[in-house]
Amino acid sequence: MGSDPFETEALSYLDALYRTALRMTRSEADAEDVVQDTYIRAFRFRDQFTPGTNMKAWLFRILTNTFINTYRRRTAQPPTADVDEIEETTLHSRMANAGAAAAPEPERELVDGILDSEITAALEELPERFRTVVLLDVEGFHYKEIAEMLGIPIGTVMSRLHRGRKFLQKRLYDVARERGIAAARAMPRPEGA
Amino acid sequence: MDCDDCLERLYPYLDRELAAGELEQVRRHLDDCHGCDRTYLLERLFLERVKGSATADVAPPAVRERLILRLRHDVHGGS
Repeated sequence: MGSDPFETEALSYLDALYRTALRMTRSEADAEDVVQDTYIRAFRFRDQFTPGTNMKAWLFRILTNTFINTYRRRTAQPPTADVDEIEETTLHSRMANAGAAAAPEPERELVDGILDSEITAALEELPERFRTVVLLDVEGFHYKEIAEMLGIPIGTVMSRLHRGRKFLQKRLYDVARERGIAAARAMPRPEGA
Repeated sequence: MDCDDCLERLYPYLDRELAAGELEQVRRHLDDCHGCDRTYLLERLFLERVKGSATADVAPPAVRERLILRLRHDVHGGS
């Protein structure tokens, strides 16, 4: 071990695979199991990988399949938010109606004030079909790659991503407002939820 | 391109998933429309913040060690 280029490259994606598995399963033990099974499969089927193609995408496809086929059923499913409640309204579409905002760039003040722990919590609240797409997007995959990994049309990827992002935005706006971030007070809450 | 058309394409624009022609149309609308440009700014900052936060985590060293042990055992047949 160690001098095998396939193994070296595969292991370079461990951080990305693990953090994604952690947010998919919401359990450290399950995340570790999913990741180990992903790597076992990847090494067993390494002949199916074409050198020079995108190994990260190949590994994430195995990860996603492993999660969906094996772990999803047994993973505890804490209550998630009802994304259907979210309307197609951006913070800004109403902010414009609120008149002059408090800071020259309230957008930046709002976003900079969000804590990492709040982002993690909001991600974990997302219902799974939205969360998976958002997590794959965050790792830098194209719509087409995500569609292939999940076996869904590109249009579905786009709509889930859109709604997942709107949900996160609204949640994070709410927590920012609760903590009293001035920019959030200056912006009216988006409709829905 | 009007504001509705622009806002509808904002995520694909930010995600670099628009074809060259549409991309140019969105870019031109953002240059001309202050309202859409502010929305663009918020969406861009927001996506960058979420992405930056969500990709900062690394696997604990113990997870990496156990993985390598298991690969050695299960795939390479022990050594």
